[in-house]
Amino acid sequence: MKFTCNTKDISGAVGAASKVVNAHTTVPILSNVLLTAEEGKISVRATDLELTLQHAFPAQVAEGGSVTIPAKLFSSYLGNLQAGLLELTGTPTRASVKCERSNYDFHALPADEYPPLPAAQRGQNFKLAGKRFREGVNATIFAASSEEARGAVLMGTLLELEGDSLTMVATDGYRLARYQTTLESGVSGAERYIVPSRALSEASRNLGGTESVEVAALGAQSNQLAFGAGDTSIVVRLVDGQYPNYGQVIPAKFDRSITVNTASLISSLRRAELVAGDRASMVKLAVSNQTLIVTASSDVSGNAYEELEVEQTGEDLTIAFNARYLVEILNHIDSAQTVLEFLGPLSPAAIRPVEPPEGAQQLYVLMPLRQ
Amino acid sequence: MISHFDVDAFYASVEIRDNPTLRGKPVAVAGSSRRAVVLTASYEARPFGVKSAVPLYKALQACPQLVVVPPNMQKYRDVSREIFRIFESRGHKVQGLSMDEAFVDLGSVSPEEAARLAQTIRDEILTAVGLTVSAGVATGKMVAKILSDSCKPNGLHMLRPGEEAAFLAPRPVGRLWGVGPKTQTRLQERGITTIGDVAALPDDQCKAIFGSWGLELRELARGNDTRPVEADRETKSISTEETFEYDVRDQRRLREVLREQAIELAQKLEREGLCACTIGIKIKRSDFTIVARQTNLAEPTAEARRIYYAAVHCLRRADLSNKAVRLLGTRVASLIVGEPRQQSLF
Repeated sequence: MKFTCNTKDISGAVGAASKVVNAHTTVPILSNVLLTAEEGKISVRATDLELTLQHAFPAQVAEGGSVTIPAKLFSSYLGNLQAGLLELTGTPTRASVKCERSNYDFHALPADEYPPLPAAQRGQNFKLAGKRFREGVNATIFAASSEEARGAVLMGTLLELEGDSLTMVATDGYRLARYQTTLESGVSGAERYIVPSRALSEASRNLGGTESVEVAALGAQSNQLAFGAGDTSIVVRLVDGQYPNYGQVIPAKFDRSITVNTASLISSLRRAELVAGDRASMVKLAVSNQTLIVTASSDVSGNAYEELEVEQTGEDLTIAFNARYLVEILNHIDSAQTVLEFLGPLSPAAIRPVEPPEGAQQLYVLMPLRQ
Repeated sequence: MISHFDVDAFYASVEIRDNPTLRGKPVAVAGSSRRAVVLTASYEARPFGVKSAVPLYKALQACPQLVVVPPNMQKYRDVSREIFRIFESRGHKVQGLSMDEAFVDLGSVSPEEAARLAQTIRDEILTAVGLTVSAGVATGKMVAKILSDSCKPNGLHMLRPGEEAAFLAPRPVGRLWGVGPKTQTRLQERGITTIGDVAALPDDQCKAIFGSWGLELRELARGNDTRPVEADRETKSISTEETFEYDVRDQRRLREVLREQAIELAQKLEREGLCACTIGIKIKRSDFTIVARQTNLAEPTAEARRIYYAAVHCLRRADLSNKAVRLLGTRVASLIVGEPRQQSLF
């Protein structure tokens, strides 16, 4: 193979692909990116077997073919090049790069040993605005579990489709995030996919800036999902399992609520958490007389007391939360005011923005601490 | 000044309040088993000798027209919570003694002001909950309690500071704090029958009869009761027990009961945010002898499964002497405050 391209194009493509490569893989070829030259374009592919990213950019192709190059090394090399033109010649064992007055030979591995692309059999597909996709991923995946011991299902994020509506849900069993929006084009009937959260984050990073993202189910059992936009596609192996019935843990009705300034509540909680120490980062929220009092204490550090003006409806209440969970949720709310809804000191509380993102709904459910 | 409040015939009054056709009739709240005892009797039933702890069959013999109502503990707990909310509503220190009885520290006010406060609390309970409460107001807890007992039902008595000794002197020695029936018998043998007799004892005799706490007891008898109202008395242990309708020999059945009790205790611990380090069981054998066994845990727990395993362990070690079991109970003790626990959605 032989091609000439812009250093900026190849650097961007290899850089994105190298993020997918698992640094601890025991299969040598999985440390490499695959470059394929064909008719005026170069495709760069990387995979960790769960997630495959492919990105294409234009080039002057003199001779078609493929080569694999160690991803981290090649990406670092490209990152240190000046803007300009680059010529690459590939053989099964070597990739030679010429750029300005420098000449590099990289050890390569035979391209035909590289894992093939997943089956191309396409099932249901849908399309949504890139902005919504990024927003939804950002609003949900942080709530997924990061503990492998709790299983792959909770580490994933649920994509629930019905007609042209999309619901994204992530939970680690203590808190739950839900984001709902409308698709540009929907599916027929209903579909449920559990996507590994890391893969979604990768897809969002690469595709979130585009106008619109196309998603298609792949394989005979629809066990993979392909996210694509422009010259970039990401194929993800789905989690096989039963997602918990999240609908039943979201209370249908609440009997009290407060509306509070989001930024003030975050800073009060952050300060109070400093004092709470390691007692499960417990902060107490006491609501009374249109006032929210945040307190925390520990034998080691002392006591914290914070007063905030709120808009209260319903009876007074005292409830305890893990401050870290609450702050993390509030950090994902892009609205000056936040509503917190309650049923009682031991019941799930709901947290949502007063002004939800345009064309979407955002909801969080958090379980309190039992003191 | 301290006030002792005691709801009049608590369970029975709640039942009569909720079913006015019972008003004016002799009513007893009692279970339905063969061995049920009267839990509370209305004042109309008391002239027949029907009172707390009297076996139901005896009560029915003495008062055939007695209306027996099954207990509804959940309801009583709810009512009790309401009443305690009223006790606590003014910020006074409250020491609950049971669901329907409490000491309230009314602070450093004049006896008249204290009596007025106690009356306000009684009125509020009558209005909000529909139950009458008797109250005793005095400088110390013991006198306050004796006063409220003596003015039941629906009364309020106040004793001015300085009048305690004279008030106590003629009363039977059994009314003294800590003097039970056994001590009372022993004292009577020595000719000590009234609280006044104790108040007049010289130091050496006082120590000889009562031991180390003799002088303290004499101070109480003289009306010098300085024990404070202790708010939020810590729970020291939680227990539950079951008297069987028919004595049980089957080990499997006994383990089943322990399992149910473990679940119940785990829920109570959970509710109080406590963990137990000691688990024990109590067995009353068919000959009424009692065996108790307990075991200490390496790690405090609030888990039903671990309470159950420990209780079964105790049961295995308990010597039943080939007797059937009449009563079986489980107790969790050495309670410590548990770490706050994150609750789960699923």
